[in-house]
Amino acid sequence: MTCEELMAVLADYVGGELVVEHHATVKIHIDGCAKCGSYVATYTHTIRISRALPKCGQLSAAFEAKLRAALAEHLGEATS
Amino acid sequence: MVAPLPETLTPELVFHEYAPRIYNIARRMLGNDTDAEDVTQDVLLQVVRRLDTFRGDSQIATWLHRVTVNAALAHREKRANRQKHETGDVDDVLETAAPESEVKRWNVSPDEPVLAAEQHAIIEKAIKELPEPFRDVYLLADVEGLPNADIGNMLGLSVAAVKSRLHRARMRMRDLLAPHFEERDAS
Repeated sequence: MTCEELMAVLADYVGGELVVEHHATVKIHIDGCAKCGSYVATYTHTIRISRALPKCGQLSAAFEAKLRAALAEHLGEATS
Repeated sequence: MVAPLPETLTPELVFHEYAPRIYNIARRMLGNDTDAEDVTQDVLLQVVRRLDTFRGDSQIATWLHRVTVNAALAHREKRANRQKHETGDVDDVLETAAPESEVKRWNVSPDEPVLAAEQHAIIEKAIKELPEPFRDVYLLADVEGLPNADIGNMLGLSVAAVKSRLHRARMRMRDLLAPHFEERDAS
């Protein structure tokens, strides 16, 4: 396996979607190629730290007030 | 995902549980606070209008992602029409070549990463720098944790296209983040 071939299957490798034989081939390349070993590690870190980002954003006080007013207005219309 | 909700969804509960979440997806997709606020308001009112049709938390969470993504894409389209910019063939924008020079390891905990505020800002900035079609896929897959098939349905892409864009986006993200996370040389 070449470094270019590894790049072509990297997403499937990281996602655990390769068949066992192909996975083993990738692993052999990574173990023998320092550059690709580091690349795969940092590619994986990229995914992990992105998943650690907060899912909820902080609403500003002004926007929260505006949103509450819009909601109240909407509910008022819905019930009248 | 958010914590399980009680069986009865009220507007206040939806506001509390979902507004910050809708806002975050919209802000990351659109890249600015004002547009994200417009989209959040539209989506929140849509959710409240349809409250009595939801039967559970997972159902509303799935629907919410779809409606938020649709609203953000529509907002972006309006903005693009105003700006009239051309994007060309999006899938050729980011390359997938193997690294040519040495790749340094990163100074990141092997376990669950705990990010400092400064690191949050670095990652958010890198996401913002991704070209929009790649940013959308990256956000939904690697930040929101949605399956590729769901992302394909939301964005009108095949699963193969989602995977291709995701891989290119991850490579660009890796390159953007590398200078901030690489181990320093001992000197």
